[in-house]
Amino acid sequence: MSDPTEMSLADLATAIRRRKVSSAEVTKALLARIKKWQPKLNAFARVEAEDAMKAARAADRALANGKIKGPLHGVPLAHKDMYYVKGKLAECGSKIRKRWIAPATATALTRLEGAGALRLGALNMVEFAFGPTGHNVHTGHVRNPWNPKHITGGSSSGSGAAVGARLVPAALGSDTGGSIRMPAHFCGVTGLKPTNGRVSRANAMPLSYTLDTVGPLARTAEDCGLIAAATMGPDPLDPTTDSAPFWDAEAAKRASRTMTIGIPKSFYVDDLDADVDSALDEAIATFRKLGARIVQVELPDQALVSAAALIVIGVEALTIHAPWLRTRPKDYSEQVRNRLMNGAAYSAVEYLEALRWRGPALAAHLEAIGKCDAILVPAVRVAAPTIAETDVGGGPNADTVILGITRFMRPVNYLGLPSLGVPAGFGKSGLPIGLQLIGRPFRDETLVALGAAFQEATDYHTRAPRL
Amino acid sequence: MPKEVSPERVAAIAAAARIPLPRNGAERIARVVTMPVTRLAAANIALDIEVEPATFVAVQRKDARS
Repeated sequence: MSDPTEMSLADLATAIRRRKVSSAEVTKALLARIKKWQPKLNAFARVEAEDAMKAARAADRALANGKIKGPLHGVPLAHKDMYYVKGKLAECGSKIRKRWIAPATATALTRLEGAGALRLGALNMVEFAFGPTGHNVHTGHVRNPWNPKHITGGSSSGSGAAVGARLVPAALGSDTGGSIRMPAHFCGVTGLKPTNGRVSRANAMPLSYTLDTVGPLARTAEDCGLIAAATMGPDPLDPTTDSAPFWDAEAAKRASRTMTIGIPKSFYVDDLDADVDSALDEAIATFRKLGARIVQVELPDQALVSAAALIVIGVEALTIHAPWLRTRPKDYSEQVRNRLMNGAAYSAVEYLEALRWRGPALAAHLEAIGKCDAILVPAVRVAAPTIAETDVGGGPNADTVILGITRFMRPVNYLGLPSLGVPAGFGKSGLPIGLQLIGRPFRDETLVALGAAFQEATDYHTRAPRL
Repeated sequence: MPKEVSPERVAAIAAAARIPLPRNGAERIARVVTMPVTRLAAANIALDIEVEPATFVAVQRKDARS
């Protein structure tokens, strides 16, 4: 039996189900690895070792009695510290919610538990999920497993670091402005930002009612598909999921030779670092070899789409935090407080115009990509910068640094599209580089199919950092 | 069309929202948000009066059915 910490979620779930390895053995191995790596990475907010071992032994007993809870039976996971579990802490990377006990459990977690998954604990995150780098003055910065001097990306910083370092096979993150795809890129893992309205956000900490999404970071596209299969579908507690289709496992296996991939002529290909540029070229060549049809596309003005996203997230995040900004402004870090306060500049008409334009902007995007199943673009212009060079706090450069990192992220959120971040190379610095496959609404499965085909042909997702 | 967002405008909207601004906050925020505000204004997007925020969901679902 190979080291369970090196196995993908899919392989681990199969091995436990076939009793090649017990859930208790897997949990013990992961806890041992966490003990070694945590001091270096700060990925976990809390490790729940005893509860996890107890749950693992119960899963093993159930299996011995022929009872399989679901496709993730006995697999230990951990999630961003913004998914509530009734009666447990959910501190959201903040001082304000320090020691806050959740009154209910997130639907996404209930569904993962229903599929048989266990919890190893909660993962660190950027304060209130509002930051792209992984810095956090309250909980300490999370560090990149490939080089701890570098950022993980955020806001799902602990999820990216924990999956990258093989501390967990998969973790939930959230993506409002790139918070799954950026850590996936910087930490060398795969991440699925689902179509808006496909996964329930009930009892997860909100940042933007319009733009928030719940999705996985994992080693492979197939693993992301497993988490998606467990979590997607309608939830009465989140009416935006009313028409959410359940996961279509067959569609997630569609052959890439039947697909068309668009490559934008501008915006996403401008001013790229040479390593990212090469990774994009290589990925295009790989998809060509896999039989996909590659076409060039001219997208609508993406900077305009990004501007609309900034207005929506600005106003909604400020509205959510207004009560605390009135009463406890000093309990926020300077950067998060400043960014929240930016929302105070937009008029009601500007906000509603940005919301009204969302439908026409999506229609224009879909017209521009024609019959494409996905477009292939970089995630970020560069590999992970250092923690020191991006430690801008609330200073004068903060917004420039943040907007630079998130440049290729916001259009996907505004348009509500699914996007899969996949490892696609390594830079000269030895740090990972990821790309995004951006799909059509509710066709998340297509991205998993393309990602899985890409990962069959490449090995970037199999490489692991060393302690 | 606004060429830039003024600190006075920021201060007025923040006051209406009952959000206290820190010292020099209005100037900083005005600088940061000028880009999205002026970019959207310059685009002069004309929408039919029937278009509403929920139109997005209709477009999303139409494509999913196609």
